Amino acid sequence: MLRATSTSDARPLSPASAWAAEVAAVFVKDWRCEFRTRYALNTLALFAFTTLVVVSISLGPIGIDRARGSKVLPVLLWVILLFSVAAGLPRAFVQEEESQTATALRLSATPSALFCGKLLYCLTLVGALELLVTPVFVTLMSLKVESPGLLAVTLAAGGYGLAVGSTLVAAIIAQARTKGTLFSVLAFPILLPLLLLAVELTFSAVGGGGGSGGVALPQLLLYDASITVAGLMLFPVVWNP
Amino acid sequence: MPSTTLRFKNLRRRFGRLSVLEGVSGSVAPWEALLVTGPNGSGKSTLLRCLAGLLSPDKGTIEYREGDEVLDTAGRRLRLGYVAPDLALYSELTVAENLLFFARLRRTGPERGFEVLDRLGLPTDRMAGALSSGMRQRLRWAWALLHRPRLLLLDEPFQNLDAAGEQGTRELLREHLEGGGLAVVANPSHLEIDHVAGHLDLGR
Repeated sequence: MLRATSTSDARPLSPASAWAAEVAAVFVKDWRCEFRTRYALNTLALFAFTTLVVVSISLGPIGIDRARGSKVLPVLLWVILLFSVAAGLPRAFVQEEESQTATALRLSATPSALFCGKLLYCLTLVGALELLVTPVFVTLMSLKVESPGLLAVTLAAGGYGLAVGSTLVAAIIAQARTKGTLFSVLAFPILLPLLLLAVELTFSAVGGGGGSGGVALPQLLLYDASITVAGLMLFPVVWNP
Repeated sequence: MPSTTLRFKNLRRRFGRLSVLEGVSGSVAPWEALLVTGPNGSGKSTLLRCLAGLLSPDKGTIEYREGDEVLDTAGRRLRLGYVAPDLALYSELTVAENLLFFARLRRTGPERGFEVLDRLGLPTDRMAGALSSGMRQRLRWAWALLHRPRLLLLDEPFQNLDAAGEQGTRELLREHLEGGGLAVVANPSHLEIDHVAGHLDLGR
């Protein structure tokens, strides 16, 4: 019985704990709604599956041209991830506006906690997407990974940047009428540096760049830190009137 | 209870060239309700959204004070209770899950919300998306009173309610005002409610 979870007898939480509880509440709510509708999961999985099949038939072992594979395949991997994310992640905020629950959220949630809760939800979605897509992509394309550690770090840092950038853009476009167009226009300049760095690092990880990634890894981590700070600073402005 | 007041002065709000609010002023004090009436499109909901901090007025001032503390828009937004026809809760969650979620965001317990639901006769285990319009209005009331706000902004508060629902929510409003709370109530036509201290007619 849900009522048994009443918190009236509990000691008052410190501001930091209360903030963290808000973040957790948004995260749990989003996943609970997602498991009951499966909108984002289905969209991401369907898009990823379709593009994986198309790419593997065109360029993979069952295709014909693998001569330029090590150059092209990292690009294709990140194109698949980007477009899958673009198909599903904007719903995080658009859904709140379309179902008119945004008003209740604006009147209840601390903006920074709401942003972090949504970000956590998007991060787990991107993580699940990468876990689904990458092994299948590597297998289907017979891609030899020289540096699995670098690939894992690239996927983690690149996925994080994708999630933060998409969450922020989703919040910006949520109140607009032409959401789809606006997402592409705004996401392009925000995510382009991330994609260039992620592709370069993935290319290094599959043996094309010596395996270390050079300065691209610190640059990617710097990008992640910058976009996180920008998101936390901009979100209250774009979320509230 | 420390004194709580809401004052707004010369509010103006336009949507493009359409002027919805022009020079609207008013105030409300504890134990009082301000009734706002006017035909459809006269700006009642826009006024309440401005007071709630959901819209920024183009011109004018809004001052909300709780005791010695003057709250800014962000602070006011998190303190007040709001009931409006365009406010929705999560249809994918049950009534109880909705209240628990918002109680966590409000940093309070859900008891007051459940107490209101009990009084209004709304089952807590039903999915919010499966509620009738009258039941949804009851849930909005429970959500609005969850954190025991001092200021209630009520836009067509008895809309879609049956006789029992209207009586229950009228009692909740009366108790809120008799407990030292204040309320701004907007309705297209005049409403007979207790403790009305002022009437703002936005009719053109």
